Amino acid sequence: MKRFGKLVHFEFNRFFKIYLVLIGITILSQIIGIIVESTNYINLANKSMYEDHVSLKQFIEENGMMSFAHIGPSLWLLAPIAIVAVSLLFYMIFIWYRDWLGKNTFIYRLLMLPTNRISVFAAKATTILLYTFGMIAIQLVLFQVDAQLLKWIVPDEFRFDMTTREMIQTFDFIGLVFPYSFTEFIIHYGLGMIVVSVVFTMILLERSFRLKGILFAVLYGAAAVLVFILPILLNYLVFNEYLYPGELIIAEIITAFIVLVSSIWTSHYLLNKKIRV
Amino acid sequence: MIEVKDVYKKFGRKPVLKGVSFTAEKGKITALIGINGVGKTTIMNAIMALTPINKGEILINGEKLHKGSFEKITFIPDAITMLPSMKIKDAMQFMDDFYDSWNQERANELLSFFRLKESDKIADLSKGNTAKVNLLLGLALDVDFLLMDEPFSGIDIFSREQIAEVFTSHLIEDRGVIITTHEINDIEHLLDKVVLLDNGVVLKEFNTEEMREKEGKSVIDVMREVYRS
Repeated sequence: MKRFGKLVHFEFNRFFKIYLVLIGITILSQIIGIIVESTNYINLANKSMYEDHVSLKQFIEENGMMSFAHIGPSLWLLAPIAIVAVSLLFYMIFIWYRDWLGKNTFIYRLLMLPTNRISVFAAKATTILLYTFGMIAIQLVLFQVDAQLLKWIVPDEFRFDMTTREMIQTFDFIGLVFPYSFTEFIIHYGLGMIVVSVVFTMILLERSFRLKGILFAVLYGAAAVLVFILPILLNYLVFNEYLYPGELIIAEIITAFIVLVSSIWTSHYLLNKKIRV
Repeated sequence: MIEVKDVYKKFGRKPVLKGVSFTAEKGKITALIGINGVGKTTIMNAIMALTPINKGEILINGEKLHKGSFEKITFIPDAITMLPSMKIKDAMQFMDDFYDSWNQERANELLSFFRLKESDKIADLSKGNTAKVNLLLGLALDVDFLLMDEPFSGIDIFSREQIAEVFTSHLIEDRGVIITTHEINDIEHLLDKVVLLDNGVVLKEFNTEEMREKEGKSVIDVMREVYRS
């Protein structure tokens, strides 16, 4: 366990500098976004009220009150989140290939550690999870910063304050990253871990069987998706919606568990018996 | 003892090892010799479970390789196995973190023997010094067996001499060594056993001392005889 902790720490540090840059981009983009959007709104209000003699009430009727809902769906917030999401998705693949294809073949060292080889898999998966949670924690703090900035820039009569929950609910995309309940949290992040495990297994298939492995990886990925959605397919196509939603969820949890366990088992087998450096 | 028994390995349809068998004992230096592509590195990788074999068996002290074996046997490939961004001291710390068999005293001794600075970054090292760091990371483990893949490959004569010195020092002591090399001249006198490979098979396996005493032939003489016939 101590060695596993060290392995996670080591893996975490390897991407940390790029991670800090991503955090920096997210913070800067959101703060600049709040300042730019709020200033534009205030400038518009000033122009309308002082130059065009529009009343406060009329201005708000026409433009709405300034709130996070104006900024949330804008590129200022969406773009850095998309960059972080794409970077983490890319890193999910890069985290393995960098050990084979880098200047020095570090995979030799990782596979010769006196630990179960599956702990290399687990450490990489944990790293991805930690980065994701870290980013979410930072975004939660940023929501408070964003709200405070709005308060500083936009006067009370023009501003509608939102709670963190309301800020999250401004659009669906953020709802995926910030689940509204514990059950949703388990579902979203459980699903995330399954995706990570399946992708890792596909990479290990390719690394074990190379060209043939690409085909195996595609087949494995397709099989994993099929097994995962099997209860839904059967319920709608064969059983004519026989299952209650609760039963369907239980069936989904079972198939998700099957996919997760089979991915870990397959990866364990590949790392011990089939892997090639 | 390392026992390689009737090992077969194919890459795609191409057979690389065709029933290779040999043993390497503790306290002896065994050399795997053959031209490029005969499967020397594949054998090393197979011993460390870094490439799967199609048939045969490899035993280390009578057991199949398992996670604990990596405290008893280590492999020093021809390229360094640490990240270029690491300093030598980071690489040593990494080894210390993960291996119970890491011997810091020996590591320090090797640092001064090779005249390396632990603050140096791996990416900035010359090829010779990279090879020395690679060797240091393997030799500082208190293991029974060391596998070395082409430790003299592409490095200058002074570095080669320094590395060759290691083989006569207490740093090797009673450990078992399997080495693959083209630079046979540098270490011929140090070898206890030689396994000559060609086209995926063992052409000849012999004890160097016996060969010298009984037939009056050096390793190079036997190589000439075997590969030219």
